[in-house]
Amino acid sequence: MNGTTTAPASPATLLDPAEHWHHRLAWLSTVDHKRIGVLYLLTGLFFFVVGGLEALVLRVQLAVPKNHFLQPDTFNQLFTMHGTTMIFLVVIPVGLGFVNYFLPLQIGARDMAFPRLNAFGFWLIPFGGILLHFSVLAGGAPAVGWFSYAPLSETPYSSTLGVDYWAVALFVLGIGSVATAINIIATVICRRAPGMTMRRLPLFTWINFVNAFMIILALPVLNAGLAMLLIDRQLEGHFFLPFHGGSAVLWQHIFWAFGHPEVYIMVFPAFGIVSEVIPVFSRKPIFGYAFVAASSVAIAVLSMGVWGHHMFTVGMGRAANSFFAISSLLIAIPTGVKVLNWTATMIGGRLRFDVPMLFCIAFLIQFLLAGITGISHAVVPLDWQTKNSYFLVAHFHFVAVGAIVFAFFAAVYFWFPKMSGRMLSERLGKWTFWLMVIGFNMTFIIQHFLGLLGMPRRVFTYPNLPHWGWMNMLSTVGVLFMAAAALFLVWNLAVSFFRGKIAGDNPWNAWTLEWATTSPPPHENFHALPPIRSRRPLWDIANPDRPDPVVGENTSEIESPDKTKTGILTFIVSEAAFFAILLLAYLYFYARPQPGPGPRELDVPRTLVFSLCLFASSFTLWRSEIALGRQRRGSMLGWLVLTITLGGVFLVGQGMEYWKLFQTGVDVSTNLFATSFFTLTGFHGLHVFLGLVALLIFLWLAWRGDFAPGRSSAFEAAGYYWHFVDIVWVFVLLTVYILPLAR
Amino acid sequence: MTTYEFLTTTWRWSFLLLLFCALALVGYFLAFRRRGRLAYLGGALAVFLFALISPVSALADGYLFSAHMVQHILLVLIVPAFLLLSLPRSFSLPRPFTALTHPLIGWMAGVGAMWLWHVPALCNAATTSSAISVIQTTSLLLMGSAFWWQVLAPRDAQRLSPAAGIAYLFTACTACSVLGIILTFAPVSICPVYQQPVDRLGILSSIRGQWGLTSERDQQIGGLLMWVPMCLIYLTAILAQLARWHSGPHPEKSNA
Ligand code: HEM
Ligand SMILES: [Cu+2]
Repeated sequence: MNGTTTAPASPATLLDPAEHWHHRLAWLSTVDHKRIGVLYLLTGLFFFVVGGLEALVLRVQLAVPKNHFLQPDTFNQLFTMHGTTMIFLVVIPVGLGFVNYFLPLQIGARDMAFPRLNAFGFWLIPFGGILLHFSVLAGGAPAVGWFSYAPLSETPYSSTLGVDYWAVALFVLGIGSVATAINIIATVICRRAPGMTMRRLPLFTWINFVNAFMIILALPVLNAGLAMLLIDRQLEGHFFLPFHGGSAVLWQHIFWAFGHPEVYIMVFPAFGIVSEVIPVFSRKPIFGYAFVAASSVAIAVLSMGVWGHHMFTVGMGRAANSFFAISSLLIAIPTGVKVLNWTATMIGGRLRFDVPMLFCIAFLIQFLLAGITGISHAVVPLDWQTKNSYFLVAHFHFVAVGAIVFAFFAAVYFWFPKMSGRMLSERLGKWTFWLMVIGFNMTFIIQHFLGLLGMPRRVFTYPNLPHWGWMNMLSTVGVLFMAAAALFLVWNLAVSFFRGKIAGDNPWNAWTLEWATTSPPPHENFHALPPIRSRRPLWDIANPDRPDPVVGENTSEIESPDKTKTGILTFIVSEAAFFAILLLAYLYFYARPQPGPGPRELDVPRTLVFSLCLFASSFTLWRSEIALGRQRRGSMLGWLVLTITLGGVFLVGQGMEYWKLFQTGVDVSTNLFATSFFTLTGFHGLHVFLGLVALLIFLWLAWRGDFAPGRSSAFEAAGYYWHFVDIVWVFVLLTVYILPLAR
Repeated sequence: MTTYEFLTTTWRWSFLLLLFCALALVGYFLAFRRRGRLAYLGGALAVFLFALISPVSALADGYLFSAHMVQHILLVLIVPAFLLLSLPRSFSLPRPFTALTHPLIGWMAGVGAMWLWHVPALCNAATTSSAISVIQTTSLLLMGSAFWWQVLAPRDAQRLSPAAGIAYLFTACTACSVLGIILTFAPVSICPVYQQPVDRLGILSSIRGQWGLTSERDQQIGGLLMWVPMCLIYLTAILAQLARWHSGPHPEKSNA
């Protein structure tokens, strides 16, 4: 693997012979990261058209005052679907699509760490998309906005199934994102090529690696909230219903604890793209690699703690507002550092204005403006005036379109040659670019002023106030330009795919590993890898007389931990975030007791006994692992059976607790104690159950005697999960059963 | 008492504390002579004194939970960090203490220092009894030192690898933020003594009136202090880890 030859240029084959007989299914059953990447991108493109058409219809309705093209409720459904689609079915999938395709290539890997999990993560996206849109047939799409504020989203106010489909769809999509993020983390940690140390990672890879951590921490938070919302709606729980003691503001906290990191989750892939494209077209290495890399970590950490700035107008109190304002201003610093780095990379470089670069330059300027209006939202008095106005709509579209979509366009033009083997047409590309720039700015710059004039967001029409008419018309006309740009893009993709100029391995003279293989890459990605000593291996080959300085130790040794364990540990982190939210929600309501049943209804001594069984099962499982290590099959089976029995006994104990409560007429809908108690313990019980199923599978495998020594790491990984479930129970036990005793 | 009078007259100069600091200085000088890094020691002592004699301390003494929180953060996170930084590279822990340098112990000490002393009974006791207050201060300093040792120990070999260090700091930050969040949103008083302060200094009316700090808002600020600014301290440390990682070609350690 340490030869210096690059791969020979082999003809681009769409199918390999083995696949020929079922070639129609080849793309559906694929587990190849490149194909999955393409599927992600195509799905994203499809929903971009859907969401874009929805936006077009919205803008047509708003083009003139007092318009009656759309019914008010239809308008509400459309902006809800547009926002949800764009965020969860366009921006996230497209970002993950580029990562899926290029991250393994950039680190010289053959594939992602878990190819099947990868396919699973992808297929949840169309599945979620279908669920979301099925609501249209089931009584109407959700009409509650993309953040679905309670109590509007609760049954008394939204009685059709729209919100339920919305919540289930997002839950499914969340699981998919977490699965892919786990895969990304495991791939980067365990699948790097010799020489590709963590410090030599290309920035696109590094930034998306950091992003994956945000995903595994933030999306479970949303999923916990969605589960609670669904329990409210389907089982008559009370979490977010104020007149039963629930808290609508709690939904806002949970949603934005996810929602703010989500903003960065969406923009990070764009940061990664720009950090790759700008250096290549400036013919210089990135300025201040370490700063770009470290500022990503700073943003990721900070983003978890600043969600309150979405809630200044809720009435959190002056103290809370000030803290969140200051921390939100702070997050501008690492973001600004990045902008400085990109700009400095361009300064003094030999700039080449090919289409990818053009999009990146527009990205920079527009992102700067978005940043300025963004900071203005962290200033509480300003925010009070502009929140829920078109000023806000303009701001977030400057991020969503002006930055993210522009970066995605750059990535399409930059990487299409690698994916297809052919160049996109520069001429059509320039058309796309200029139409996009004109259309985008025409649509959204004016909206800042509309907002300052007082036009609220989410109104289906407006009175004929001075200037409002022409400003809105201008905004709508801009959309037509963007629609034309989208047509040019699709046209360009279609034509160039068949007739574009042959690209060759490295059409842009770029330096990262994806350009060291053929276009498109062969099934196994690389025939041979170049030596990797710096962050620009291809530069080092092309310029042997002045290579980049070696980064870190001059070694090609790589530590690659076991991927199964890494994956499970990552999964556990995301599960921990999920349970943390359920626990905090339980505490929140515990501290605000309602009339009716409370913790004193619970049987503490009995639960302690059953808890001991659960804790003992961790011990027995550990013994079983030891026995497996010593190749003592009988003893391993014995301990494993004991573990499963103990876990089962615990579940029986929980069942008895539930049974007694049901007997006395307490169920999820009784009061908030019951709602939060059943939710927390129910989800824990479910996890115990799933753990038991996993252990039963291992038991079966071990029984049949085909427990190859290589499998033991999978068994250990399952063990981690089991111990984790037990540790969660320690916290549940302390909060639910022990804490009330201290009263 | 007006705010101005309060800020100027409530410095609680304590002979014992000053003596302690002087002794620490002398001891430090005798032990390390020229090898020490005096500036850091100066920082540690200055922050230490500030936490215990300035008006913050007067407020923490039964008036304001948030002032107590400032004191708490300074004593757990700032003073020990400076102390460790002031140690010369040649410094080694005496034998019996090396057992305390396991990362898990350090982590538990750092997080435990936050959670333990905010158990209502302990928090109350530390505010009302001066003996327990001394125990609290000492334990905070020790636990903080155990926590920071993993990151700021004098020699590189004694520290966690940068990647492990980041995980260590991030999880600690999360664990403390969760407590901050609980304090911020708790509808009941975590430390009931602060609800009805005994107005020894005649300052209560300014606090409640002029400063606008009701006991609920006071607790909220305390929680927010633990949630937001404290996380920034951990974040700074995380960035320092990244800087250490990116500077100099030392071997890459485990990434997990
Ligand atoms: C491509 C051109 C786009 C146009 C013309 C457009 C237009 C609109 C319009 C007219 C609204 C409704 C505003 C209101 O009535 O308050 C809206 C809302 C929204 N858009 Fe877009 N949009 C575009 C792209 C995007 C993209 C790429 C995203 C990606 C995140 C996005 C995210 C949202 C969100 C989150 C909302 C708020 C929905 C809500 O109020 O619940 N948009 N957009
Ligand atoms: Cu935000």
